[in-house]
Amino acid sequence: MGEFFFNIDHGYLEGLIRGFKSGLLTTTDYANLVQCETLEDLKLHVQSTDYGNFLANEPGNITVQVIDERLKEKLVTEFTHLRNNSLEPLSTFLDYITYSYMIDNIILLITGTLHQRPINELISKCHPLGSFEQMEAIHIANTPAELYNAVLVDTPLAPYFVDCINEQDLDEMNVEIIRNTLYKAYIEDFYKFCEKLGGKTAEVMCEILAFEADRRAIIITINSFDTELAKDDRQKLYPTCGKLYPEGLNGLARADDYDQVKQVCEYYAEYKALFEGSGVNPGEKTLEDKFFEYEVKLNVQAYLHQFHFGVFYAFIKLKEQEMRNIIWIAECIAQRHRSKIENYIPIV
Amino acid sequence: MCLTQLFLQNEAAYACVAELGELGLVQFRDLNPDVSAFQRKYVKEVRRCDEMERKLRFLEKEIKKDSIPMLDTYENPEAPQPREMFDLEATFEKLENELREVNQNEEMLKKNFAELTELKHILRKTQQFFEEVEYERRRFGRGRGVSISQDTSDDQQPLLGDYSVAQSRMKLGFVAGVIQRERLPAFERLLWRACRGNVFLRQSEITEPLTDASTGAPVNKAVFIIFFQGDQLKTRVKKICEGFRATLYPCPDTPQERREMSIGVMTRIEDLKTVLGQTQDHRHRVLVAAAKNVRMWMTKVRKIKAIYHVLNFFNLDVTQKCLIAECWCPVTELDRIQLALKRGSEESGSTVPSILNRMDTSEAPPTYNKSNKFTQGFQNIVDSYGIAAYREINPAPYTMITFPFLFAIMFGDLGHGTIMLLAGLFLVLQEKRLEAARIKDEIFQMFFTGRYMIFLMGCFSVYTGFIYNDAFSKSFNLFGSSWGNIFPFPLDEKAREQAITNLGGLEASPMLIPEKAYSGEPYPIGVDPIWVLAEANKLNFLNSMKMKAAILVGIAQMTFGIILGYHNFKYFNSKLDILYTFIPQIIFLSCIFIYLCLQVIMKWIAYDAAGGYSVLGYFYPSSNCAPSLLIGLINMFMMKSRDDGFVDGNKYCNTSIPPGKPGGCNMVGLCHLNNWYPGQHLVETILLVIAIVSVPVMLFAKPYFLYRRYRHKTVHYRDLNDDDVPIVLNGDGGGVSGSYPVRTNILQRTLATC
Repeated sequence: MGEFFFNIDHGYLEGLIRGFKSGLLTTTDYANLVQCETLEDLKLHVQSTDYGNFLANEPGNITVQVIDERLKEKLVTEFTHLRNNSLEPLSTFLDYITYSYMIDNIILLITGTLHQRPINELISKCHPLGSFEQMEAIHIANTPAELYNAVLVDTPLAPYFVDCINEQDLDEMNVEIIRNTLYKAYIEDFYKFCEKLGGKTAEVMCEILAFEADRRAIIITINSFDTELAKDDRQKLYPTCGKLYPEGLNGLARADDYDQVKQVCEYYAEYKALFEGSGVNPGEKTLEDKFFEYEVKLNVQAYLHQFHFGVFYAFIKLKEQEMRNIIWIAECIAQRHRSKIENYIPIV
Repeated sequence: MCLTQLFLQNEAAYACVAELGELGLVQFRDLNPDVSAFQRKYVKEVRRCDEMERKLRFLEKEIKKDSIPMLDTYENPEAPQPREMFDLEATFEKLENELREVNQNEEMLKKNFAELTELKHILRKTQQFFEEVEYERRRFGRGRGVSISQDTSDDQQPLLGDYSVAQSRMKLGFVAGVIQRERLPAFERLLWRACRGNVFLRQSEITEPLTDASTGAPVNKAVFIIFFQGDQLKTRVKKICEGFRATLYPCPDTPQERREMSIGVMTRIEDLKTVLGQTQDHRHRVLVAAAKNVRMWMTKVRKIKAIYHVLNFFNLDVTQKCLIAECWCPVTELDRIQLALKRGSEESGSTVPSILNRMDTSEAPPTYNKSNKFTQGFQNIVDSYGIAAYREINPAPYTMITFPFLFAIMFGDLGHGTIMLLAGLFLVLQEKRLEAARIKDEIFQMFFTGRYMIFLMGCFSVYTGFIYNDAFSKSFNLFGSSWGNIFPFPLDEKAREQAITNLGGLEASPMLIPEKAYSGEPYPIGVDPIWVLAEANKLNFLNSMKMKAAILVGIAQMTFGIILGYHNFKYFNSKLDILYTFIPQIIFLSCIFIYLCLQVIMKWIAYDAAGGYSVLGYFYPSSNCAPSLLIGLINMFMMKSRDDGFVDGNKYCNTSIPPGKPGGCNMVGLCHLNNWYPGQHLVETILLVIAIVSVPVMLFAKPYFLYRRYRHKTVHYRDLNDDDVPIVLNGDGGGVSGSYPVRTNILQRTLATC
């Protein structure tokens, strides 16, 4: 039923987002970008796409960092426009999208302060989509409990943080655990929210979020080998809204090496294919890239349905991927490392 | 239009393209569409232009920031020579550097200034805070002096008094600083949370907005002072301040020092102000000088960029000596183009002339509609519906009259029309000045480009207003109404009653009976002014009259459009279109609408006010009982069989019984003739059937025949293929043949019909 009245509230924004989506770089654009010899060439070519003259007012030689900043700026402008024009429940949905960036920012700031970096330098590295008022005061906290009580209690992330309150000092291991606990709580909450919205939104978003959850579980498992993370603790970090839940996650919890992970995933058609095509040898794509490709596929598929919020999430994710691609290509050009320039994730 | 090839000497190419650009008559084709933007020949020059443009934009921004008026000479500078580019580049470079330097200085000074102002405010506010405390203490101290003697308990002592006592006991530290006002609530909250309520914060808003040093935007700030105890809290507070981008300033402890510092700050602020003023003066001078030229520079740079952009379209020939360009140009203007090329070659001093070569092509040329300032507005309107294909009739010239006229039919009012006419006239007469003013406003631009249209619409509105006899909804009696008053002036009661009885006892609704009141001669031109006085049926009459006029003009316009279409089809020799588009269209139109128009005209001509005679074999008793067009049209579509005679109200009555008798008609009110002419029902049924039949022909016939022709062709190709090409290719051919866009075609036609 929701579809009938969708356009009353969200029709404009859906139209807008589909327009934005069709402005994503095409395969020919990438083919042209890859041929660029210098960053100036890249700038010239990007100017002929939807990005327009977003680099035109940069004096002097441009650097990869400048490109990155401008790209983010453009995304934020678009997102802010969407957010400002949105109505409930879309506005909450859009807020949910920003939470993941907030988590990243918090973790970045904590690790930065652990390494005694000046806060201003760290702030400039934060993703602008996930900035919030109290962000810059994070470095006063020494323990997770303090972090919660002093800083995070006013942010929307507070409910996610409840599970990691303890009086241990913040160290690198701890920070990683906080990140994953936060993410787990966030994804599960987002999943529940989408389920509550129902309709096509639930259909599309649950698929994407389930994949996101599984990807996190698998990556956590693989990264935890040879670290001091206990298996019990590891299992606590798995988001439980994916397709791997519950059998797959149990399997992952018991896994001791990469092959066992692979074995667990054999039972899931989608993931089996990803594992089979990946490897670390030259010419093969890494598992991470495979995951990215699959994510892009899911996000592009979101556009096959109409009247749902998934397109907004998918756009942000696709745009993020595109930005990663452009930065990758720009880095390759800047560092004269052309052999790997083709390793971007095409968005088709 | 013809496709031409240009051979330009390398050195002359720039000047030639510049000349052609000024002429604006050719459309260049991109000869290297596969080469990406950064691999083209003149990409370096384009990039330099980009850079220059950026510098100019920067200059413009700075000029706007200082709100210096930019001089616009409205002249059109010639495209500068390529060598001039270096000069321009150098000038811009110098200007930019100078400006940046000044800006940097200014920013630093401003930052300094802002800091000092903040410090000034801090000193002033903290002074207040401390003074308050001092005052309170003194007051309560005096109070306490009394209270001691009265031996009252401690709770009468004020909190701040406590604090002052506490201060004497232990060392309380404090920091003072400035923070953005909107961050204050969160700052306060976090401070309280992080320090568990062990700090004391006083804040006060700085009333005047301070300017942000880097952006120049005004920001509202607030002064705060935080009291705390111990070093641990101090670091923590400092960290939070840093997190919220609050700037902390040193603030001396004693009032004496504070006052001294405050004086020092004031003098430094004064010094800074003079320096800042000088810097700003310098900046202003630089910008004023730049503002004179910036517009012209912009035009120049854009011209250079456009020229190089076009040059990138060109091919190099094998000898690398000359560039080859292809362009579309109107045949009639070839001479002017040749001339421009010659000028270009001469200017560049090249010995070999540029060659213009006409080429044969099977491609459809682009449409070129020559227009001038009068026709441009109309052409724009036509183009917004779609640009005619090459060599199709351009409907814009007809639109110049029909559009304003159709507008006037709807807007017919002499008064309003005059206002519009005057507005249009003003725009037309002032056009040079308005054009020079370069008003960027979109709405105004819309009116300005349509100024001739507005003028014409005004003219026609005046005319139709005159015909409708309508000025601000008032009419004027120029020639004397042809209707007279049939009611006698009340001589005496009896005579009047008698007269009214003679008129048929209509005292309830006084009404001019056409048979008696109409003089027989119509009003010479337009609507009779008497209609304004009609209360009951003024709208009935005027609406019906205007509606009918509108239908006539509208259908005429549609027919005209279809006939224009016919000329297009004939020109392109498209039998298919004539047979399956034009003919069914015109049949459809004539069966329903032209038939209706004929009825309208018939009704106007054949049925007059008096009545009492036969029309086309049917008796027409009086003006009450003319045939009804609307009901007639409905009946036509319903294919309702009906008898001859009248419909009177809801009742049907026969003509054979004379009016007045039982069963006869009294022919007042809603009475109308059922049939116009013998056999009307049959004729209308036939017309309707023909019209309905022509609809599917109109929609589906042409796509179907095209599809059949297309299939024939592909089958044909396939036969050929079979003979000499391997089968693998065959599959490809078949695959393509299936993709003929029948559905799109049908959709297009449906849309066109609607």
